[in-house]
Order: sequence, then C-alpha cells, then structure tokens
Amino acid sequence: MNTPLLALEQLTVRYGGITALRTISLQVQSGELVALLGANGAGKSTTLRAISQLVPAASGSIRWHGGTINGLAPERTVKLGISHCPEGRRVLARQSVVDNLELGAWLRRDQAGVRSDLERCYGLFPRLAERREQLAGSLSGGEQQMLAIARSLMARPTLLMLDEPSLGLAPKLVAEVMEALQALHRDGLTMLLVEQNANAALAIADRAYVLVSGSIEQQGSAAALRHDERIKAAYLGP
Amino acid sequence: MTTDLTQLLLNGLSIGAVYALFALGYTLVFSVLGVINFAHGAVFTLGAYFTFLLIGGSVGANGLLAGFQLPFAMPFWWALPLAGMAAAAVALVIERIAFRPLRDRGADPLLALITSLGAGVVLVNLIQLLVGAESYAIPTTALADLPPAIKLLGAQVRTVQLLLLLVAAVLLVILSLWIDGSRSGKALRAVAEDPTTAQLLGIPSARMIQIAFGLSGFLAGIAGGLVGLSVSIAGPYFGIGYGLKGLGVLVLGGLGSVPGAVLGGLIIGLAEACVPAELSGYRDVVAYGFLFVVLLVRPQGLLGRVMPTKV
Repeated sequence: MNTPLLALEQLTVRYGGITALRTISLQVQSGELVALLGANGAGKSTTLRAISQLVPAASGSIRWHGGTINGLAPERTVKLGISHCPEGRRVLARQSVVDNLELGAWLRRDQAGVRSDLERCYGLFPRLAERREQLAGSLSGGEQQMLAIARSLMARPTLLMLDEPSLGLAPKLVAEVMEALQALHRDGLTMLLVEQNANAALAIADRAYVLVSGSIEQQGSAAALRHDERIKAAYLGP
Repeated sequence: MTTDLTQLLLNGLSIGAVYALFALGYTLVFSVLGVINFAHGAVFTLGAYFTFLLIGGSVGANGLLAGFQLPFAMPFWWALPLAGMAAAAVALVIERIAFRPLRDRGADPLLALITSLGAGVVLVNLIQLLVGAESYAIPTTALADLPPAIKLLGAQVRTVQLLLLLVAAVLLVILSLWIDGSRSGKALRAVAEDPTTAQLLGIPSARMIQIAFGLSGFLAGIAGGLVGLSVSIAGPYFGIGYGLKGLGVLVLGGLGSVPGAVLGGLIIGLAEACVPAELSGYRDVVAYGFLFVVLLVRPQGLLGRVMPTKV
C-alpha cells in the first residue's frame, strides 16, 4: 500500500486530566472519503482539532505524507494543504460572504486561481452567489454551512476535514450539503468527514471509523458498516 | 463672533482629533484581544519624550540622564514619525512581556488589565528615573519654517493646532481604509472576531496581534509628539490624564468601533472647548459628565453594537 496521505499513529490527547483520545490509529489515502462516526463526546472533533494542531498530542504521531507534523502552528497545517471546516460553521459573521471566501484563500498568492475558485464555489452553492455582498451573520444556518465549506475549499486543500456539516440542518439541506460533498469527492478531493448522522455519512463515504469514548471500536468499508448489526443498533436506527 | 466660533471649533477639533488617535490605539488592541491595554498612556508619554529628544532637546538636571542630548537634531517632520516608530517598538515589547505569556498559558484575558497596568507604571517610573519629573517644552522653533499663526476664515489660529488636526485626520482616514478595505485589514478583523477560525484559514493570529500592537503604539507615539508640541510635556505622568480621557472616548464611541473612536474623540474635544476659559478647571467635569449622560441612554456607546449572544 502507498504511504497514506494522513496517518494517526497511537495518538493520545488529554484535556487537563481527562483523556479525550486513547491511542487511536487511522489512515486516509489520497482520494478517499473517510467518515469518522460516533456519539456526542466520543472524541471526533478532538481528532480533527489534533490534526490541525489546535490541541497538542500527549503522545503518538500525526503523519502527513509520511512525515510527522506534531507541534506545528495551526496556520502552518493550512499551508501543508489541510483545511479544517470547524464544528458550528464559525463563519465570520461581521464580514460579507465574499470577504469570508477571500479570507479562506489567505495563504494563496495566485489571484487568477482564487478568482476561478470563487466562481467554482458559487457554482457548487448558487445561494452564496446570490448573497455574496451580504454579511455572513445574516445567512440562514444552511447557507452558513455552505459558506463554511466553500471557505475551506478556497484554500485549495489536499485534505478537507469537515466537522458535523449536517448538524442543525433540515433534512432537505442535509441532502443538499451531502450531494455537494459527494460531487467534490467525485472530483478527486480527499475528505475526512466527522458526523453524528451516520446514515448520511455512510451513504457517501468509502470507509469509516467508529469512535467510542476516545477509542476506535470498529472500522471498515462504508458498505460493510452500513449492514453491521451493532452499527445499525447504535447509530442508524430501525 | 464668527472669529470666536472658528477658534472654538478648531480648539475642540484639534484636541478631539488627538483623543481620537489615542482612542483608536486602544480600539486596535481591544478589538483583537478584548482587553484594554493600560500601558497605552505611557507609550503616548514616551512618544512625546522621543520627539523632544530627536529634535535636539537636552535632558534637565534631575535624572540619571542629566544633561543628555542626542549627537544630532532633526526637523520635527522627521522626528515625529521616528518617535512613532520607537513608540511602536515599545508597544511590541509590552505585548511580548505583559500579554503574550498570559495568552500562551491560556489565562483569563482580563488578567492582562493588571499586567499592562504594571507595564505602564514601570514605564512611567523609568521615565522619571531617567529624565526627572520636570516639564519639557518642545520649542516652537521646531516648526521654524511655518508661521506660528495663520489666518483662517477671519480668525487667527495657531499653526500647531491645524497640524494636529491634519495629521490626525490623515492617519485616521488611512487606518479606516486599511481596516475596512485591505486584505490584511480584513484578516485583522477576522482575528478580532474569532482567532481560532482565523488560524484555521491560515491567518497567523499571533502576527496579526503584533501588528495591532505596533500600530497602536505608533498612533500613541504620534499623538504624544503632537500634544508635546502643542502644550508641552508636563512630566512623566502627563499621559495618564490623556489615557483616562481616551478610555472615556472609547466607551463613548462604542468599544471596538473605529468610527466610534473618532466620533467620540471629536465630541469630547468639542465639549471641552465649549467650557469658557475662566472655568477651564471644570473641563474634565464636562467631558465625563457628557460620557455619563450618553451611557445612561446608550450603554453600548454611540456607534457600538449590542453583542449578540451566540445561538
């Protein structure tokens, strides 16, 4: 097997005295869409926060193209090609849609490329094009989620990490967001998708990991996990 | 009558413009960190002393540096921006010593109020130790190539006051354009709104905070040099009164609002100028009384916004 794009090896993260992640290992191959599933508080967001260096690893390593990136400044991980779309959207409410998108391309110097990516984002989410001059804070929840995803894309990442993109959205919008992610995946973008909505995530993922209280309990292809009795009982409902 | 009115307006606007510069320095740091930098007044004071030294002034007899004079003297126009830059450097050191260690340890941001107050006290006492407590006047010969007063709209106005107003206005306009229109200005606003998200976009938050401190120090230094020229440096503590006034301006205009800082500065300056000369001891009463009344009606300040609670 090739060197994975991203590999977590025996990663442990602690907040004060509490162990949030216990020696987890996980790989993402280039071009894959990998889902990270689990209940609230299982450590899904912490995993993403550790990868983008917002929280330090207590032990274990985070490898990017095979080289360890532990201890980098968070903004340096963006430069490496890791784009983290955080939980709760976190759009810059007091700036316009287009300013949010342009700030997503902060590290890029290729003006022409940024312009064309901006148009690509508007093509992916036409509602953002209609609201480009509006303040991001005035958008609906679904539109803010689209803006957050589009803003992460503006960095032209190698790996896009999404934290609960379906959270708090109406079912119709969840479908819309998932379709957009699927389209990005078809275009070859590598993604690590954190979701509580296991149904929606497994429908578009290639592989998935299941986190339970900070440890990886199960892993496998999305198709296999969809039919796994334990997963069905715990996350998929009847 | 119109003469008096012109003079009065100009008095008010020129001192108000300095208050605005001062408050804008507070605003820059407040908007990125959410705390007031209490050492700001001391940086202002330093700016005045730096200007005094750079134009060739010599230190009096009471400090460790008694009789000291720089081996060169430069025109005021060179001295003022240089003093601003030196003040910016001091502000960066204050950030490094009084703010960053707390941030790195994840301490409550409010603790920076105490550490910055401490840094301010140290600076003021250092000034006293080095150059003594006497007042220094920046000689008006610093502007030898300009007439001391010119006629404007039928009134004789002091050139210094016009300069104060012009320099402050130019800086305020440049700064507002930069914050609202430029890429790095937008990045600074992103850090102010949400530093973690800014980092996830690749914006170096720590660097942007340094830029805010540097600019804030530069503005304070320039304001100090201008006031020193206009009314003389009344001793190491002379920045404290302006510091408090700047704080009042900030609250009046609305915390964290750039146009608010400017409007607040001009209003307080004009309010003070309306106090007749024989009652000049009551100027501060008028300024703070005005602040008091406005806050009763608009607690968020004139242009401040009520912070929405997150959903």
